[in-house]
Amino acid sequence: MEPLIQVRDLEVTYRTAAGANRPVAGVSFDIHPREVVGLVGDAGSGKSTTALALLGLARPPGRITGGQILFGGRDLLRLTDEELRAVRGRDIGIIVQNPRAALNPMLRVGTQIGHAYQAHNNAGAAQARQQAVEMLRLVGINDPERRVESFAHELSGGMAQRALIAMALSSRPRLLIADEPTSGLDVTIQAQFLDQMWSTVQETGSAILLVSQDLGVIANYCDRVLILHDGQIVEDAPVRQFFAAPQHPYSQDVLRLYRERGGDFPAQVAGTPGFVRAEAMTKHFPLRNSAKVVQAVDRVTLSIAKGEAVGLVGESGSGKTTVGRCLLNLIPPTAGKVIFAGTEITALPKAEMRRFRSRMQIVFQDPFDSLNPRWTIADLLEEPLSLHERLTAAERRARATAAMRLVDLDPALLQRLPRGLGASTLQRVNIARALIVNPEFVVLDEPTSVLAPRARASLIALLARLQTDLGISFLFISHDLTTVRYLCQKVAVMYLGQIVEEGTVEQVFLRPAHPYSRALLSAHLFPDPTRRRVDHPVPEALSGEIPSPIDPPEGCYLAGRCPHAVDACRAIPQVLQPLPDGRQVRCARVVAGEIGLMKESAE
Amino acid sequence: MSPTDPEAAPLPRKADWLLYLGATIVTVVTVLAVIGPYIGPYDPTLTTPRVAVPPPALSEIPGLLAGWIGGTLDHPPHWMGTDASGYDILSRVIAAPRTDLLIALSANLLSLAIGVFLGLIAGYFRNWATELLMRVSDVMQSFPVFISAMVLVALAGRSTANIVIALAFVYVPIYIRLTRAEVLSQTSRGFVEAARAIGQPELRIALRHVLPNSMTPALIQSSVTIGFAILLTAGLSFVGAGVRPPTPEWGLMISTGANQIILGEWWPSVFPGIAISLTVFGFAVLGNVLERRYEGS
Repeated sequence: MEPLIQVRDLEVTYRTAAGANRPVAGVSFDIHPREVVGLVGDAGSGKSTTALALLGLARPPGRITGGQILFGGRDLLRLTDEELRAVRGRDIGIIVQNPRAALNPMLRVGTQIGHAYQAHNNAGAAQARQQAVEMLRLVGINDPERRVESFAHELSGGMAQRALIAMALSSRPRLLIADEPTSGLDVTIQAQFLDQMWSTVQETGSAILLVSQDLGVIANYCDRVLILHDGQIVEDAPVRQFFAAPQHPYSQDVLRLYRERGGDFPAQVAGTPGFVRAEAMTKHFPLRNSAKVVQAVDRVTLSIAKGEAVGLVGESGSGKTTVGRCLLNLIPPTAGKVIFAGTEITALPKAEMRRFRSRMQIVFQDPFDSLNPRWTIADLLEEPLSLHERLTAAERRARATAAMRLVDLDPALLQRLPRGLGASTLQRVNIARALIVNPEFVVLDEPTSVLAPRARASLIALLARLQTDLGISFLFISHDLTTVRYLCQKVAVMYLGQIVEEGTVEQVFLRPAHPYSRALLSAHLFPDPTRRRVDHPVPEALSGEIPSPIDPPEGCYLAGRCPHAVDACRAIPQVLQPLPDGRQVRCARVVAGEIGLMKESAE
Repeated sequence: MSPTDPEAAPLPRKADWLLYLGATIVTVVTVLAVIGPYIGPYDPTLTTPRVAVPPPALSEIPGLLAGWIGGTLDHPPHWMGTDASGYDILSRVIAAPRTDLLIALSANLLSLAIGVFLGLIAGYFRNWATELLMRVSDVMQSFPVFISAMVLVALAGRSTANIVIALAFVYVPIYIRLTRAEVLSQTSRGFVEAARAIGQPELRIALRHVLPNSMTPALIQSSVTIGFAILLTAGLSFVGAGVRPPTPEWGLMISTGANQIILGEWWPSVFPGIAISLTVFGFAVLGNVLERRYEGS
């Protein structure tokens, strides 16, 4: 079949005072009609720049300095601005990151979609509006006649993202470029969105170039994968072949973890049970000028054995992060207690609690934000030592050097400031700082979420190694189920401040019991192209949005969205109850056997 | 943001002539503060027998220059004339930065130190005491700057130390407010929580982690404050609440010269006036440029 677009030796150059820099250095690839092509690469590999260049655009001070983009028999780079403008939007559409920022807050959504349509079609206002309604319906927005009148702030993140696809597809382009369209969306919304994009494109017969850092997205939606490394395509392979037998060393690095572990779950550990324990831990945040409270954490009971890694998963707003903070007594729980190695730390006086801190540590989500930008790496690593141990300067430096080696970093970096170091290096520094005082328990709060695929895989491998070698207990907070699956022995699923299911990773991932766990797991995109989501759509979806933690529902918190809900669910609050296999579930119908365990799962 | 995003990369900076202008003026004034009293043709605190001599006309300048260099004049020329008491204006104009800048700098350093510290406390520990501090500083700020300083000097007496304290008092609320705002945003950052997680006591987190990251706005404001402190010092002298004569000081010179303007003797007031305007302008421009750079970074 004739390719839709042929890119040959594309080059983009940035001319700066420091000299020329070429983020895209000779990129060549084809995209065929109806094909979904994934573009993967590290931060800085030139993904976004390549995507923009397909429209003949480059962000200043960058310029397209060479190559050809053949589309419909013409070289786009030789067209005049006028001709190129006609191609953009009509023949090639683009969806960018951050949907809210991409929508004009002053214009109604329908008007904006209409404008995109009118730019390429000779249409009046009424016809443009008609088209906007049509497009919104196509991308699966309920009640499109009403939604065309909405402003951007009235739409949820997922809806805004769909409005952008509607805009991009309004003139039925033959190629759609989607640049990380789901970054920042929750898994359930991400899955809905990508499903919608995929089926819309199948209906309209267009092709997609999907730029993503998420191998799960690539595996589930793409037909072919392009790996961009240092401004060049280093691998171009069908998706199954890529995941089965990556050729380039970079691709092998990216996939090493998944390939080494295969289908195995981490082995269970036999440490002292209940080493870290939360008992009916509750955290309320007061609301300003109101007697109401935000119920961030609601009577959570959790137990972590010595040397065990427990994953805490759930969507944003489910209270995961607050649980982590409360377990360390960084924010004191409103009610309930936390017991660490037999001591009730929530009852300790302040000064004693501070001394206790060397035994429990935390690694934060944002590596840039959690290191003081004015301190050198050495100072940052030695700060905990000077607080908790009486050492000479030389001894401290030796410990800092050892900690750097432990996380596979060059001790020469000790003299550097955090500025200018990459996310993955800084996250390792954070881990080194947490480990330097030899803690027995570490909370990891989404430590991999800002990392590119290769860095993420190697950090997961590092954490797994540290857990085995050092015998530390971990609480691993993440919305990335793939990471939890490779790292944790147990997993707890949170919804609206409550744990709804808790069990071994094997139990929960293979046969999730609670309706929410099922929805979460079926929406999660595992990097496994042999079970693509688009090949067998999953029925376990939830409708509606997560309720507000200020006014939680009366009965089961999930009842309003649950496909299995009956009247009793809406009236009676649910409690965690054990299943015969040892896990705990907060759903009376599951415990009573009225809802069978999910047969097929993503594993 | 990924490094592929060129908007994250610094744009090449335009040649910033305002920065150079501000920096030049500030440098000249600073140098004069050090050597000004010694390089003038006359002693700035001694009168000459020649009273109310106007500055030389343009046509006389070449002749005077030649005579001055050749040593044929019986006394150095009065380039800016002399005032009604016989002081050489030029010598006093270039000697004045010592007084003005010293007062302005000391006042600024004092208010900076107090204001930044209180701002840190007010931003980091938010309780009824710091709320009260903020309300007090609101009240202090709501008085016109000049009136407050004047009243303070009138009550405490006319000495250099009292002028410094009065000015510092006036500027402290500005620094409290600026620093507090920055502290509020820095306190929510991850490294503060990280320090708490390793067991640092709160006061040390505030001093070692938050303070160094919160000082930039106050330091930038310093440049503007020094400029206006000079203006205020001169203003206090003008109304008689500043330094005592015969200390060379711009405001005092304008004030003593002002009586003679009606007689057509404009020079005793105009030359120090120009000096003040240029100096304040220089400091303000420098402050603005630095602030813009900080916000852009």
